[in-house]
Amino acid sequence: MKIALFIPCLVNQMFPEVGVATLELLEKLGHEVILPEGQTCCGQPMTNSGCYEDAKKTTLKLLNAFKGVECDAIVCPAASCLVAAKENFHEFDNSPEAQVVIDKLYELTEFLHDVAPIAEFKKPFPHKVSLQMSCHGIRMLSLATPSENMSLQRHNKVEAVLSQIADIEICYPERRDECCGFGGTFAVDEGAVSAKMSKDKAYFHYETGAKYVVGFDPSCLMNIDGMIRRQKLPIETRHIAQVINEAL
Amino acid sequence: MSHTASKIHADKAAIFCKDEDRVNWHSKALWLLREKRDRAASSLPEWEQLRQLGSEIKLHTLTNLAKYLEMFEQNCQANGIQVHWAKDAAEHNEIVHGILSHHQVKKLVKSKSMLTEECHMNPYLEERGIEVIDTDLGERIIQLAGQPPSHIVVPAIHLKKEEVGELFHEKIGTEAGASDPTYLTRAARAHLREQFLSADAAMTGVNMAIAEKGAVVVCTNEGNADMGANLPKVQIHSMGMDKMVPNLDSAAVLLRMLARNATGQPVTTYSSFYRGPKAGGEMHVVIVDNGRSNMLKDKILAESLKCIRCGGCMNTCPVYRRSGGHSYNYTIPGPIGIAVGAQKDDTNSIAWACTLCGSCTQVCPTKVPLDKIIHHHRRLKAEAGNLPYGKRSYMPVVGKVMGSAPMLNTSMAMARTALRILPGSLLKPFAGAWGKYRELPVAPKSSFEAWYKKNRS
Amino acid sequence: MSSKSFILKALEQTAIAPQPMPEINVAPRVDDLIGQFETNLNTVAGVLHRAGSLDLVQEKVNTLVAEGKQVISLVDGINANRETPEDQHDLKDIDFAVIPGELAVAENGAIWVKQPEGHRVTPFICENLLLVVEADNVVANMHQAVKKLTLDSGKFGAFIAGPSKTADIEQALVVGAHGACSLNVYLV
Repeated sequence: MKIALFIPCLVNQMFPEVGVATLELLEKLGHEVILPEGQTCCGQPMTNSGCYEDAKKTTLKLLNAFKGVECDAIVCPAASCLVAAKENFHEFDNSPEAQVVIDKLYELTEFLHDVAPIAEFKKPFPHKVSLQMSCHGIRMLSLATPSENMSLQRHNKVEAVLSQIADIEICYPERRDECCGFGGTFAVDEGAVSAKMSKDKAYFHYETGAKYVVGFDPSCLMNIDGMIRRQKLPIETRHIAQVINEAL
Repeated sequence: MSHTASKIHADKAAIFCKDEDRVNWHSKALWLLREKRDRAASSLPEWEQLRQLGSEIKLHTLTNLAKYLEMFEQNCQANGIQVHWAKDAAEHNEIVHGILSHHQVKKLVKSKSMLTEECHMNPYLEERGIEVIDTDLGERIIQLAGQPPSHIVVPAIHLKKEEVGELFHEKIGTEAGASDPTYLTRAARAHLREQFLSADAAMTGVNMAIAEKGAVVVCTNEGNADMGANLPKVQIHSMGMDKMVPNLDSAAVLLRMLARNATGQPVTTYSSFYRGPKAGGEMHVVIVDNGRSNMLKDKILAESLKCIRCGGCMNTCPVYRRSGGHSYNYTIPGPIGIAVGAQKDDTNSIAWACTLCGSCTQVCPTKVPLDKIIHHHRRLKAEAGNLPYGKRSYMPVVGKVMGSAPMLNTSMAMARTALRILPGSLLKPFAGAWGKYRELPVAPKSSFEAWYKKNRS
Repeated sequence: MSSKSFILKALEQTAIAPQPMPEINVAPRVDDLIGQFETNLNTVAGVLHRAGSLDLVQEKVNTLVAEGKQVISLVDGINANRETPEDQHDLKDIDFAVIPGELAVAENGAIWVKQPEGHRVTPFICENLLLVVEADNVVANMHQAVKKLTLDSGKFGAFIAGPSKTADIEQALVVGAHGACSLNVYLV
């Protein structure tokens, strides 16, 4: 398939290795990968704060970067940015061209589970990983059935993808899908509560005895990583793309 | 706390967070309720079906509210119940006072009603010489302590048993140093029994009002509503008009979820249906608007009126559990408190006391889209120019920077460089709350875009 | 304009689209209703006497009376030592009340008690409550219960699930808050 990468600003600027892993793993799976130019922020920090006017220009700029780009799918390694892009594109542009872009948007895990499943992993990943089930991916993108939901049919796309890797040991922190406290500007506006949430989350991951915290949302991982290092906990964060790329 | 203390959520939360042991205790106590709720909900294979039904029943009722309110009034009257309409809190209080003064009531026993809290009824009646006794144990505790409730179902959840012991020692004469919950509860039972037996009138909130029957349903575990309403001559039930349901079948759906979602019990100990006054007594129902019809004019805010006040959203809320019910500048705290209270929040802060994680929405037994409503409040606040101070100053700047690729790239490149070359101690003061509590991110040498240009194009 | 008219008028501007009333059709769990009821009654701190009969209830009442307890019975055929007083406040020293329950609900251990003879407060003010329910009147769930229960115009009724309880002090469960401190259910 021909895939256009949607690399959110945080990944582009702070976690290029996540972008690289995403690109490499998609290439290893035989896809053609391109990076449309002119990508900016999805507008989430502004719209989540209620400031739609401040978000409009940014969002439309990002949308325009994808309009008319020839591809089968637009793949993003950041769940909450993807959710925000979908919602904000729709909010500010209801043209058919915008809808074409929206219909092609996938979060990486979602893409690897629903659209182009991985036939085979070549290498083992002999480590215990504690999965970071970030809120927007779980509750808005339905990457897994949230813990609050009592549906008899349950799914977990993150575990489904990772569990195919040989020797990987998957576990979950206590209160498995409780928010890590990042919440974008929440971490700044509500510093004390945010920090306490992050601290609890970092310790819950650490208490599993896992070597890595693995997640699909770089912003949550950045938050947890900052707390892990402050608390000097012997556990590290990894993006799911990095784990998959290592095992291919 | 002094009168000049900030009412802003983040400030009050920061004070609550200073005592980390207490935060852990509070958070755990409420999470325990969430776990009990999970067990109770998962024991019913039809749980998600019930939530869907609950949502549809409430939406149906809200979209036909005028019809059902009138049906309810007519049926109440046929059952010998007197119905009153109050457009706001002031009128509610006047109506209640009118009934009480007509009967020369000196002492009113009240069972849990968040509506009377919303209307600030207790001080209103007390100023007019009527003693108001809250009879729910948790409510009595906070009434004696002179505090507002910190949770709608477990109003004294913020207090430890030692604190209750001290309070009871001082106010109702329990032994000094005694803090055993059974002992304290027994003492409260004896103390409140005297109040029930000597009251001139009783008042309760309403969990559901059944239009087809002209009846109100009141749920308690302690039996205080029934001890109250069934002893004195006069009983008054105050209800927000969102408490309406069409019929008994609807009530059954909601009753199956209410206690399970609140505390994990299969049902509250008492679910009492009042369809008329006791022999020789008087029964009054006060229907209150107080802003509800206004919320119905906004199709997103309207859905907050589907709430049945189980408190499940508070128990799951990671922010509520770590900031305490008193940090919200509204009578009702937590996600539903933000949903129904943000418009009245003069600090313009509670709408931002949320990470938009969405857990509350998933827990809600009537599928109130709480995160969507809270998000919408932020937008309404922003459009009305009511952003919290910090945001008002930095948001437009963020918008400009993020919207411009060169500006974004330049500023991020500068930040990256700064993070790499400057010592952390120099950066932390500039990193605000982030740097205060966490290590700053380790900056990479270049952006992904630069890597891509070098390696792929 | 009256407040009623004001409110009804304001409701004309409701923004949400009309929603039909859903059909409530929830599959009941019908296996071992009495077993389910007992499990749930125990969960809510009540006790079930399965093989009850009115004779057994009378025996229990006789024992209580012999112990000097103040017992009132509102169940036909069960005789106790106290009559319904004129004033409900005079029920304050009742140790045991024997009251008919109309329906028992398997899913949650609740018993529907329709308006009792005498005073409404009787099942709440007594120290201990004995409910007598016919074994045929156990229903699966609340959907079925509300279809069968009696709630006449001007009357009162309550689902009672266990003795009065509270967990308002540090979430510690304490049985016996304001209502009855124990609940025994006799299936007859």
